[in-house]
Amino acid sequence: MININDKNSQRIVDIIKEYARKQSLFILAYGTGCGAIEIPPTMTSRYDAERYGIRGAATPRQADVLLITGYLATKTLKRVIRAYEQMQSPKYVIGFGSCTINGGMYWDSYNTINVLDKYLPVDVYINGCMPRPEAVLAGFDKLKELIQAGKADGWKHYQDNLEWYRQNQKKVIVNWQMPDYNW
Amino acid sequence: MNNINLEKEQQLAETLSLDFTRLEARVVRSKRVEAVLSSNDIIPSVLLFAKDKLGYIHFSHMSCVDWLEEGEFEVVYILWNPEEKINLLIKVRTKRENPTLPNIDYIWRQANTYEREIREMFGIEFPGLVAAKEFILEDWQDIPPMRRDFETKEYVDEHYFHRPGREDAKDVREEIANRSGEEIPEFAKKFSRK
Repeated sequence: MININDKNSQRIVDIIKEYARKQSLFILAYGTGCGAIEIPPTMTSRYDAERYGIRGAATPRQADVLLITGYLATKTLKRVIRAYEQMQSPKYVIGFGSCTINGGMYWDSYNTINVLDKYLPVDVYINGCMPRPEAVLAGFDKLKELIQAGKADGWKHYQDNLEWYRQNQKKVIVNWQMPDYNW
Repeated sequence: MNNINLEKEQQLAETLSLDFTRLEARVVRSKRVEAVLSSNDIIPSVLLFAKDKLGYIHFSHMSCVDWLEEGEFEVVYILWNPEEKINLLIKVRTKRENPTLPNIDYIWRQANTYEREIREMFGIEFPGLVAAKEFILEDWQDIPPMRRDFETKEYVDEHYFHRPGREDAKDVREEIANRSGEEIPEFAKKFSRK
């Protein structure tokens, strides 16, 4: 009889869980910027991301991965935070395109944020303006590696440092009318 | 190409100038006539006249220009006549302090969208505008962002984060130029990193 609470057996269970998780990544179908145009070619027959277990999900509660595709306006940020907080953990965020890394060509725009990881815990960044579908698949590959290694734990970081994230988010979003979740 | 027939355009400019005293019309080029109004009160009558009598039934666009040095906003109404194939540009100006222009969304309903955008981005008020409320921006508390005296860089520095650059970032332009025995032209030097 295996004792589940034993540390070594728990590790085996974790490895199996992580292996299962990385094989089916459901992306929330939410295009936030111009980068969303790279998702259809990634999904359709030429690059066919579904053979790697990557496919779309209709609602936040069914999704594992939140893709921030391109520039993020402050108005959109509010919706993105709301969608992210509705997602079931484990959940992963991929910053997509140079706009999420340092603002890109919109670095001095009055209504787009520059550094995404101040507002949401980003697991993988894909750079490029725009990243090609090959780069997108490479980014997902990296995310799979991190999941298998147990390092894609941005959602834990978000729960632990919620105060800090909230402080940054409220700096941008003036009228804060959001529900509080008790994860 | 010197003998382009501008008869229709000249005729339109004459008609407009004769009918309105506070209006100066001129032909810009073929298929384009510009009318500058010196009074804001006659905007609805000019637009109605162009729509009902002259056949400018299509309201293409409405845009705004900030003339900061002259202390004025210029609003341009662009109309299109599908029969004559002529663009009519009607230009009006208003002061930058408490800018107000007559509302025209009862003439063309689609003008409402443009007026709401100009109201939000430049702060020009249109008395009587339908749904004069928040349009694209959300919870905006600064001066209207498309005004030229709005300091975008300062606003971004204050509200958003900047990612610091790489520490090993060096200016390699000088080195490459020296190595190949070339010189960086004077106009390009301002782009070199200090």
